[in-house]
Amino acid sequence: MIAQEKKPMEEILGYLEGKQKVVVMGCGGCATFYRTGDTKAVNELAENLTKEGKDVFKIPLPFSIQACEIEKSGVFLEKNRKELENRDAVLVMSCGGGVQVVAEYMDEKMGIAKSVIPANDAIGLVGGGPTHLKETCQSCGMCELGKTAGICPLTACGKGLMNGPCGGVRVDNKCEIDENKDCAWVKIYERMEKLDELDKFTSIRDPHEWSKTKRPRLFEMEEPVKINASAGIGAIKGMMAVTFGPKPKLDE
Amino acid sequence: MGDEVYSDLMRELKEGKYVFTGELEPEKAGDVNEPIEMAKELVGMVVACNVTDNPQSFAYVNSMAASYLIQKEAGMECVYQLRCSDRNRMALLSDVLGAGALGLKNILALAGDHVSLGDTKDAKPVFDLDSTTLIKLIRTMVDEGKDLGGNEIHNPPKLHVGGAAAPGAAHLKAEVGKVKRKINAGVEYLQTQVVYYTDVLDKFFNELGKVDVPILVGIFPARTFGQADFFDKYVAGVDVPPDYLEAMRATKAIKDKEKKKEEVDRVNIEFFTGFLEHLKGTPAAGCHMMAVGYPRIIPPLKKLME
Ligand code: SF4
Ligand code: SF4
Repeated sequence: MIAQEKKPMEEILGYLEGKQKVVVMGCGGCATFYRTGDTKAVNELAENLTKEGKDVFKIPLPFSIQACEIEKSGVFLEKNRKELENRDAVLVMSCGGGVQVVAEYMDEKMGIAKSVIPANDAIGLVGGGPTHLKETCQSCGMCELGKTAGICPLTACGKGLMNGPCGGVRVDNKCEIDENKDCAWVKIYERMEKLDELDKFTSIRDPHEWSKTKRPRLFEMEEPVKINASAGIGAIKGMMAVTFGPKPKLDE
Repeated sequence: MGDEVYSDLMRELKEGKYVFTGELEPEKAGDVNEPIEMAKELVGMVVACNVTDNPQSFAYVNSMAASYLIQKEAGMECVYQLRCSDRNRMALLSDVLGAGALGLKNILALAGDHVSLGDTKDAKPVFDLDSTTLIKLIRTMVDEGKDLGGNEIHNPPKLHVGGAAAPGAAHLKAEVGKVKRKINAGVEYLQTQVVYYTDVLDKFFNELGKVDVPILVGIFPARTFGQADFFDKYVAGVDVPPDYLEAMRATKAIKDKEKKKEEVDRVNIEFFTGFLEHLKGTPAAGCHMMAVGYPRIIPPLKKLME
């Protein structure tokens, strides 16, 4: 999941200067999990913008319809073509991926060129939970976990060192950069010790191959992802039950 | 370690002489006049001086430029400190070539503090290499005349590479594991972070065991209370003893400049007498005196080691 936070209202209002008629669009994917793009968040932002004198039109996306998957989210854009044509800007409550995919689709497929503005800040690919999550992977394209006892040196270490620890570890084994974060390399040492792999600790890991992260990375699938319809709906129902409590309402 | 000797520092270390090095800090300025003046005072007292590279991630005069000017103007051999924080592997490689071309003879390879600790907090931290892989790169360049891609270097640089160790690290086993890794990478000497406690030093040497690489122990006689306090508060892995800190604080109240200097010197000599006496009994090959802007303390401290 891509964790995200809402941008401060002042920043959003800055982008909207001189733009009166706006669309607020949600996201039924990660942004729904993080309450930054679910229907409630869309309503809240719309309300706040109305208080600031804006004329707002809402396009919430139902649960599981992710802004970044344009085949699905595009349907909601097409449905609201008229509104989109008459608006000055579209605020997208998703990660930056969703924002860009929506802008590109409107531009190239719908022929509607509008400023598309992010309402959120994406802060990383996280794991854990239920309330405490941490960034665990930056999708670097050349996974090093096999060399570091399963702890990502690029992400968990504040400096992304392949050969740590640095000289800055704090007295309580926290990271030089942040007293709330554990030193990844102390963790790696301790885990290697448990796994009886300490010989790996003193061996030299080569510099990371950043050539595997030539941005933007493109990804070709041989076939489009297809989810078996009933299994898919079952899974969505299950997820909604977990996410929103015992009584999921699903428009089948 | 290769057999070639390119620098005075390495020659003294190989000869088994007890080595003293100093430290110079280029500033946020358009010149290097102050460190050059300091270096002139230190000539004859220390065999070489480290020239810091954006210490604590505060952006100052480029360390390679400063090292070159100090060597040229003051005749002091420099240890060019090189951090991975600000440069990717390509920039590091070309800096090492540049250092060789400028006649620099020693590099201290460091990971470096994170940029968020300094005065340019929004900078993109690089850390493309780490201290270990930088050491390995330098050795490959010098000994094999090859770059990272295996490409031939015409007239390879002739210099030595040192690395850092942190005896005060909370997780000593992990720290020592890293130091051993640096030794595997070909580091030619080690310099420790500042140590104030003899038992910290003993534990470190015990954990490390016998190694073939000479080790310089870092000490920091502070010129002012402020310097000591800064170290205590902001330098990771360094604990300044409260007694020493208090004695330094007391010197603040002395109005007369000369009397104050005398008292600061007295406090330092008193504190370091015991420490240096102890140091003689350790495997240390020398002492790195991080006495920035405080050259007058070096002769009396050296005397204690005789
Ligand atoms: S090395 Fe780290 S960033 Fe790269 S894929 Fe593995 S976990 Fe992700
Ligand atoms: S303290 Fe540990 S986690 Fe933090 S930068 Fe240093 S090695 Fe990495």
